[in-house]
Amino acid sequence: MSKKITKLLSMFLTMLLILTSLVGCGKKDTSEENATGNNDTSTNNTSTNSTTTNDTTTNDTATNEKEQITLTYWYTYGDGEEAQFKNVVLPMWEKEHPNIKIDPVRQDSSQYHQMIVTAFGTGQTPDVARIDIVNTASYANQGGLVALNNFDGFDTSKAEFLDGPLSTNLYKGSYYGLPLDTNCKAAVVNMNTLASIGLNQVPATLEEFITAAEKSTTPLISVSGVGDWDFYPYFWLFGGTLTDPEFKKASGYLDSQASINAINKLVELNQKKILTIKEVDGTADAWDGIKTGEYAMFFEGPWFFGSYEENLAQGIQAAQIPTYNGRSASVVGGENIVMFTTSKHQDAAYEFLKFMTSEEVQLAMLDVGQLPVLKSLVTNEKVTSNPVWSVYMKQLETASARIPSPNHDEISAVWSNAMTNIFINKADVKSELQSAAAQIDELLAQ
Amino acid sequence: MSHDNKRRKWKKYRKGILAALPFVTPGLLLVCIFVLYPMLFTFRIAFSDYQIVKREITWIGLDNFINVLTAKNNSFWYAFRNNFLYAFITTPCIIFLGMFFAYLINNLNKGKTIFKIGFYLPVITSWVIVGLVFQYLFNSSNRGLINYVIVDVLHLSKNYIPWLLREWSGNTAIWIMGIWKNTGWAMLIYTAALQGISKDLYEAASLDGATSWQRFIGIVIPMVKPTTYFVLVNMVIGSFNVFIQVMLLTAGKPNGTTSVLQYLLYDKAFKQFKFGEASAIGLMTAITIIIVTVILNRGLKLDTVDKEETV
Repeated sequence: MSKKITKLLSMFLTMLLILTSLVGCGKKDTSEENATGNNDTSTNNTSTNSTTTNDTTTNDTATNEKEQITLTYWYTYGDGEEAQFKNVVLPMWEKEHPNIKIDPVRQDSSQYHQMIVTAFGTGQTPDVARIDIVNTASYANQGGLVALNNFDGFDTSKAEFLDGPLSTNLYKGSYYGLPLDTNCKAAVVNMNTLASIGLNQVPATLEEFITAAEKSTTPLISVSGVGDWDFYPYFWLFGGTLTDPEFKKASGYLDSQASINAINKLVELNQKKILTIKEVDGTADAWDGIKTGEYAMFFEGPWFFGSYEENLAQGIQAAQIPTYNGRSASVVGGENIVMFTTSKHQDAAYEFLKFMTSEEVQLAMLDVGQLPVLKSLVTNEKVTSNPVWSVYMKQLETASARIPSPNHDEISAVWSNAMTNIFINKADVKSELQSAAAQIDELLAQ
Repeated sequence: MSHDNKRRKWKKYRKGILAALPFVTPGLLLVCIFVLYPMLFTFRIAFSDYQIVKREITWIGLDNFINVLTAKNNSFWYAFRNNFLYAFITTPCIIFLGMFFAYLINNLNKGKTIFKIGFYLPVITSWVIVGLVFQYLFNSSNRGLINYVIVDVLHLSKNYIPWLLREWSGNTAIWIMGIWKNTGWAMLIYTAALQGISKDLYEAASLDGATSWQRFIGIVIPMVKPTTYFVLVNMVIGSFNVFIQVMLLTAGKPNGTTSVLQYLLYDKAFKQFKFGEASAIGLMTAITIIIVTVILNRGLKLDTVDKEETV
């Protein structure tokens, strides 16, 4: 009898355990439901189709006025940028929009893309995020981003942005984000090392630099690797082209004689030990080497100059990338601000997007080195009077974008595989470029 | 009569199941949710085009497998080869070193615990921290300790070696890290196994004038054979789960020649959104592990059963 009771008791307890755990799993956040109100059911079904998005947003505004809502914002700012965002920008937002609270979440930059992919899988993407420009097309292609074209006033505000950064949001005729900050690579020069090869100022042309560098026994230009971000500026500088202007075809461009000549020139400079590639030669890191005086020059984004005065004291300064055959080149970087389809408050999110790209916020973030994306700020005194930002804003005029494609990662892998084969395995330049062009053609056609 | 017997047996069996059910159910439920369901889902994705945001799963048959196996840069085959190489190279080293250090520690009169902790420390140290330390060790130019020692201290080579940037030196660094990290685990298992060896055997051997090394070869190695099989199977299966070393040290560079299956899977899923191909890689890894385990079990079981029967 007592055995039976024990058995029954244990059964009962186990069932209780299962039930409680299931209840725990299934529990919904009622507070969030309350906050979103009835309107949620309609916004929940929002597809990438921006027309439907717009219909729901009117209701959203009505809700905004009454209720407190929270928008989650993911970013990968560094310490300085985050402090500026939280202490200066957020209070500005809260003052203007007391009913829309921003929940700022700083993510690890090295695994940020993976974090977003995981969030896509679990449906836990934030409302708004600051993402790398190269990932915009890929997220849009997955159907994860909201197209902004049909939001009120988008067409007029679109004209305020610089064309290059804005174009990185364009995918299949729609804009899936707004440019948030921009950058490019410019030359970081160690004047002391430059003086040691007889150059007392930054040379205007690369030809001049190469002639002087030939006297040196150690490499004077350093590049981290052969990946697109690092190596495209050199490829473009020496006359190479990746695709047609519409980014539809690589054959005929990447494998053209001009491109082959560009790579051959780079191989020659590498062999002559004028240009060293860290990932190929195993040489010292450029950030380190420029400070120790091992290198005279390398190309890097504005973040290199944390403290310009400190760098200047070491003889390191920012300069335009010297021209080769009369032309300079650089690669566009930066971030876009996007809204995810899972956001239940798309109208409020769009407000936040507009706020983050407004002149006052752009100027506030410029204080911590985030270069503005508005045409009106290019000639702003704050930009032109700064020895670093002015160089980068000027360099942007000759900077080109990487191929915007949802297959960006694969295209980038095809490029670096080809370059690795050429520089490490000494493969034939022409056949490698032909093979890479054919592969990129396929990826662009998808 | 036999029918009755069967019924009684069935009743007893049913009773047993009913009694066990309440205890098993929670675990079973968790296994179903977190193991079985994802596993079956992986099967489905492997044969489909899976759009993660849109949740669209379109059946495409064997396309994912074909794409993975026929990729232009042979990425799958490099990864597959590297997993086998990792198993073939690190497992014997871990087994030998683990056994050897366990034997040495076992023979100590003092400080056994300190040495045990010392050897076991790498096992419990975070992979990420160890990965970073190895990155510094194998760093290129004179910024890496190993390069500094080889070129600047010992003058064994004139040029700095770009360890993590070349196919074979990169793989070697991955192997060394695996060996260093896992030897402590094998050592601990062997230390336990050594406790089971009768002291009489050592005494008899000493009386016959056997040296330490001879005792190691003649007594220790044969007596810990079952443990060796255990370590062997564990290490070989573990070799197909190598991931963090590769991610932290080489990221598959150059051109995927230092990649492994798990890293390739991660790359396909989380960088390229190709969940179908990633699942196909996962399935093929699982099948490989099953085949390898069956082969090992067949080969080893026969050996141990024979021994036990004849002894």
